[in-house]
Amino acid sequence: MATMAKPLSDRDEPRRPNIASADVQLPAVKDYEQVDREISATLHPTVAWFIGLGVAVFFLLVGISAWMYQIYSGLGVAGYNPPVMWGVYIITFVFWVGIGHAGTLISAILYLFRAGFRTTIYRCAEAMTVFAVMTAGLFPILHLGRPWKFFWLIPYPNWRYIWPQFKSPLVWDVFAILTYLTVSSTFLYIGLIPDIAVLRDREKNPVRRRILGVLSLGWRNSDREWRHFARAYLFLAAFSTPLVLSVHSVVSFDFAMALTPGWHTTIFPPYFVAGAIFSGIGMVFTIIIPLRKFFGLKHYVTINHLDAAAKLCLFTSLVVGCAYMTEWFVAWFSGNEFEKTFFANRIWGQWWWASAILYTCNMVLPLTLFKQSWRRNPTWLFILSFFINLGMWFERFVIVVPSLSHEFEPWQWASYSPTWVDYAILAGSFGWFSMWFLLFIKQLPVIAIAEVKEIIPPRLRTTHDHGIDSSGRHLEFEPSTPGEDA
Amino acid sequence: MSGVIGAFRELDSVVYAVEELKEKRIGEVTVYTPTPRHEIEHAVNAGPSPVRRFTLFGGLFGATCGYWIAVWTSDYWPLVVGGKPVASWVPYTIFGFEVMVLFGALSTVAGLFIASRVPKLRMTVGYDPRFSSGDYGVWVACPPERYSEAQSVLREHGAVEVRDEQ
Repeated sequence: MATMAKPLSDRDEPRRPNIASADVQLPAVKDYEQVDREISATLHPTVAWFIGLGVAVFFLLVGISAWMYQIYSGLGVAGYNPPVMWGVYIITFVFWVGIGHAGTLISAILYLFRAGFRTTIYRCAEAMTVFAVMTAGLFPILHLGRPWKFFWLIPYPNWRYIWPQFKSPLVWDVFAILTYLTVSSTFLYIGLIPDIAVLRDREKNPVRRRILGVLSLGWRNSDREWRHFARAYLFLAAFSTPLVLSVHSVVSFDFAMALTPGWHTTIFPPYFVAGAIFSGIGMVFTIIIPLRKFFGLKHYVTINHLDAAAKLCLFTSLVVGCAYMTEWFVAWFSGNEFEKTFFANRIWGQWWWASAILYTCNMVLPLTLFKQSWRRNPTWLFILSFFINLGMWFERFVIVVPSLSHEFEPWQWASYSPTWVDYAILAGSFGWFSMWFLLFIKQLPVIAIAEVKEIIPPRLRTTHDHGIDSSGRHLEFEPSTPGEDA
Repeated sequence: MSGVIGAFRELDSVVYAVEELKEKRIGEVTVYTPTPRHEIEHAVNAGPSPVRRFTLFGGLFGATCGYWIAVWTSDYWPLVVGGKPVASWVPYTIFGFEVMVLFGALSTVAGLFIASRVPKLRMTVGYDPRFSSGDYGVWVACPPERYSEAQSVLREHGAVEVRDEQ
């Protein structure tokens, strides 16, 4: 909730630094009506949007076709080769769960830390979270030989009144993912209610107005509603914060609870969580940079916001890099021959190229973000985000495949190569995710209208010669300054 | 419900108007604002939100349910493996935590809906669509004999439009 402090005198006025900070300023956004007008203008469909949706649906159909072929022919067409019975599907499952982490990090954790740069990007990140978790949730079903029995995955006494084993990481996984999907969807919807009310009040079409009226639950923007809303939002953020950390920890238990070399390690939970946040921020860049360009929102998602997000990306890259080096150190220091052999195989063995992609994309390329001019370059951030997505997919590949194909006994060793069915379903998952996201951005606001209004100086009866920000500080810039570089 | 609604363009005008309306005890005051502002919250001076109680009880109930289901199902089919306890609380903490978060979050939302009185199925007297956009609204619920007093306070503080509604 914003506040209006007494303006500082000019003598106390701090210099505005040319670096990203938590102090958000949107100098090109003048008043509340401008926010409503510009953000609701993004909801009109364009030719480019229809083309994008068509491409997404095409890839989805490719994935669905491959899945139907797999159901008809059996799971053998997916390229599994004993003992490598986890492949592209589990890799992509972990990949999408990881993508889903940045959304709640940005919307909940950064909210609790009062990091101002989240305001204009969190709605996109939250929607990304929900759709990424929806995508991830498909993969356990795709991995079933008889997918019509998918409801057996839900923990209930489904066979002779026997309940599932609550000591099993796979059962924890089901609860963690379903809880995360429920809570993140709820968080997204609650944040959307005041914005849907804005759309309802601007809507001229009676049918759409009626639908938006139902979706906004009759929200009236009264002080009573805002008071309870602010409190509920804070508590939801407080619940979501440990949930973010727990979900990928639980996903990591799927591996760490097994005795397989390369998996059985206590570093996995923090390592997975840091990797998930890193990959999620990469995907946020992939989405938000084209959005701000095509929707004309550069004065909302400013260079300062991208700069601050890039610092977070750099930090998580360093944490992930530290985790990689710790893994090598532990393997060497443990004196365990299996671990040492496994890690040597990971770097110099059959899958050396996958490890090389992983380390280059996740450890080396993000180091460019130490330089401010690279952090403030949206083109570079967009290109880098693709490398991060690629590197994080290969991180999961390096965790899953080399461990299963190179276990304790040499007679167990095997190879693995994904088939066209794997690749088609992987492409289909991107189509599924993109389709939902593209539909979302044309139905609901991609930037939180009510929260952006909080950081705009309110209209006052007592006028000032120049602007005053939400904390009461005088602003140096002229009112006509374009806001993109702020 | 009857009363007077005033539309304002400026935040400071709203705050002064609310303070005077409360001082004169003309009637119950409701402020419509496009975005939450602490100044308005302080002027209205409402008590703490009861949502926190929903959160607390939802979380405690969820944690209890989570542990209870895991322990009960273990005892329902007791199978001792390696001399270990049938119901082991350490792994069940993960389950208890997830259910705590789930119930706590959902009960927080229920608390928000109950305390805010949403969903609202009827039109609200005095509400105007401009209050979700850029203007502020001050609604004073009062009997007709006090309309003129409320209207004069609202106009005095710069309301751009004042009207009585029923």
